[in-house]
Amino acid sequence: MTPVVELSKVRKVYPGPGASGGHVALEDVTFEVARGEFVCVVGPSGAGKSTLLRCLTGLAAPTSGEARFGGEALRSVPAAVGVVFQDYGRSLYPWLTVSRNIELPLKVRGVPRAERSGRTADVLASVGLADAGRKYPWQLSGGMQQRVAIARALVYRPDLLVMDEPFASVDAQTRFGLEDLVLRVRAEFGVTVVFVTHDIDEAVYLADRVVVLSRPPGTVSEVVDISLPGPRDQIATKRMEEFARHREHLLGLVMTR
Amino acid sequence: MRLRAALVRYGSRLLVLVAALGLWQGLSAAGIISGDEFPSMTATARALGDQAGSAALWTAVGQTLAGWGAGLLIGGAAAVALGTLIGLNRFAYRSSIGVIEFFKTIPVVAILPIALVLWGVTLNMKIALVTFAVFWPLVIQVCYGVRSLDPVARDTAAALGVTGPRKFAVVTLPSAAPFIATGLRVSVAVALIVDIVAELIGGGSGLGTRILVAENAGPSQYPAMYAYIVVAGILGVLLAGVFAVAERRLLHWHSAQRADTVAPEPAAVVPVAS
Amino acid sequence: MPRSLSLTGRILTRLWLPVVLAAAWWVSSAGSTSLYFPPLSKILAAVWTQWAAGPARAQLASSLEHLVTGYALACLLGVGFGALLWSLRHVRDATSPYVYFLYVLPAPVLVPAAMTLFGLGFSMKVVLIAFAAMWPVLLNTLDGMRGVDPVALDTARALGVPPARRVLSVVLRAASPQIAAGLRNSLQVAIILMVVSEWVASTDGIGYYIVNSQESFDYTGMWSGIIVLAIIGTVANLAFVAAENRILHWHYGARAVEGAR
Repeated sequence: MTPVVELSKVRKVYPGPGASGGHVALEDVTFEVARGEFVCVVGPSGAGKSTLLRCLTGLAAPTSGEARFGGEALRSVPAAVGVVFQDYGRSLYPWLTVSRNIELPLKVRGVPRAERSGRTADVLASVGLADAGRKYPWQLSGGMQQRVAIARALVYRPDLLVMDEPFASVDAQTRFGLEDLVLRVRAEFGVTVVFVTHDIDEAVYLADRVVVLSRPPGTVSEVVDISLPGPRDQIATKRMEEFARHREHLLGLVMTR
Repeated sequence: MRLRAALVRYGSRLLVLVAALGLWQGLSAAGIISGDEFPSMTATARALGDQAGSAALWTAVGQTLAGWGAGLLIGGAAAVALGTLIGLNRFAYRSSIGVIEFFKTIPVVAILPIALVLWGVTLNMKIALVTFAVFWPLVIQVCYGVRSLDPVARDTAAALGVTGPRKFAVVTLPSAAPFIATGLRVSVAVALIVDIVAELIGGGSGLGTRILVAENAGPSQYPAMYAYIVVAGILGVLLAGVFAVAERRLLHWHSAQRADTVAPEPAAVVPVAS
Repeated sequence: MPRSLSLTGRILTRLWLPVVLAAAWWVSSAGSTSLYFPPLSKILAAVWTQWAAGPARAQLASSLEHLVTGYALACLLGVGFGALLWSLRHVRDATSPYVYFLYVLPAPVLVPAAMTLFGLGFSMKVVLIAFAAMWPVLLNTLDGMRGVDPVALDTARALGVPPARRVLSVVLRAASPQIAAGLRNSLQVAIILMVVSEWVASTDGIGYYIVNSQESFDYTGMWSGIIVLAIIGTVANLAFVAAENRILHWHYGARAVEGAR
């Protein structure tokens, strides 16, 4: 079976002064994500996590190497990819209501009006915001806004959902709720997820596999299979010995290299 | 308490108005200012009342508004179209911004003789002049607005597949709207000033000409002149007011966002580092 | 992103369009026999012979005299009254609708009135320019002062800075970016009124020169006047930018830091 998305020998250099012709963000990154998998990407700050995400979604082209989605080389963001950015305040359009934000990708894809409103209502209910459709994003709390952003990325039923440190700007309690929400919608929509984070606990809790990036220039230093049973639970799962073991191992990887 | 504060505020404003009008009338009645130079308050008020019922005033107001509105519309549309094209292309922006800044600094009155030569004393002359005056400051604002599109907002558009004309209408234009509104607020006032200049010295029909004609007719018409001046001021207030209301309605999301929500921690969006 | 554009590249990008436009005007008007659109070469020659070295120098001097005197008065009155209204809250409240009315009143309508009051001479123009250009400065001063950070004022009070010094060194300074914006708006108003007043009612000044040339079918002269006005506008703007950069460098510095965060 072909992987949903794969990077092979991806190198990304941002032009500028310097011996290597600029800032090398990624060096020889290779990994693939199978259908239905939940993969987290962790790494120390400056490891090129965001760059990796940009290459993975087609927002940016690698300097060399190749990023493929469904076997085809990425040139732009494919219609079957959903992206959730960290900065929901800027990613949700403040001049559109919550519903219109969510309907926007459906309009682009030519979904008829009647179906649009039905799907919007459904996806809002899935993220627990059934009544928020007529509000503006900035009238909601941070956690609710990020749920809207997730709903917008899910509404067109993408094969792959890519999330860039989506919960870095919300408080801890909200964060746990959102993590469980992501696990639930993943099961509900059967979507493959790539989740970039700097939080080891979050990665272990969510992922089937964790890709660890090294210190810059970023390269894959290890891929760790997470052998925790599902469904996961904030208290029970995190109390498991295995959780602690994965956590320790990953922390070691991120801290030392 | 609130009611009392409002009463004090509006009462004191009314008092100032009454005192000023009273002083004006008193100075005229005492002969300190002569009617040959400055009409009495009552005479001016009477002239204003007479004109409010006359077709001449409303025709003049209509003529002034025609130049103002058409010029604002043409200049505004051209500025949005061209400003967008220039703002979207870095080479075009760098090439033309100096030229635009230069044209912006040219006093509009300098263009008046050219407009007169080209169009004569016509409505088109007024429109051309207002268009010129509105276009340059506005096109700069549109360029800035289009260029200021947030990188996250842009990436989001790419991720959702929003491209082409839809991207312009749904993403680029709304995000530039606050900048455009700032430019328009200035343009609304400038357009009226330039329109009236075109009437005063270019001879195009409207309030400006009326004022000049009243002045030329001598002291008997001075009350009418001042009445026209008051009308021009009221027109200025109304146009600015209408614009403010429109702005509040269309950009409610913008001011509300600034007032009610705390901006999230700015993230490192620059793609140089992760 | 290609940031590698060299300095020469940047200069060339900025220069090519103005050069092309000027050249296009020069070439397209070179053989012009139209009365209204004389060749650019002739216009530039007229700018030199009339304005730089010739009889129109007196008109230029007279215009600048009106402008500078009137504008200086407008600035002083605007900042002065603005500060006064800022300190007298009740007066500010009671007069605000009328101040706003005078601010939005399209100032050129006052030209005929000023003629009946002050005749056609120097004082009419100066009074007119000062009166009309005062309001943008006044309102911006007031607004800027109202926006002063209370912490800055409290700090000054805690440091024992006397009231007069507080107004000068804290309030005025903190409000200066907005005052500068007002001064810039006022300058535009002042230039417009300078030309309009000279045009309608005068025997001297650039406005008079332009209308006189036009009426005597000397369109080259008219165009030269237009060029001189454009030069005045540009020079005034450049002077403004230079002054702002010097005086308000702290403001732009702070803003750049904020923007980079």
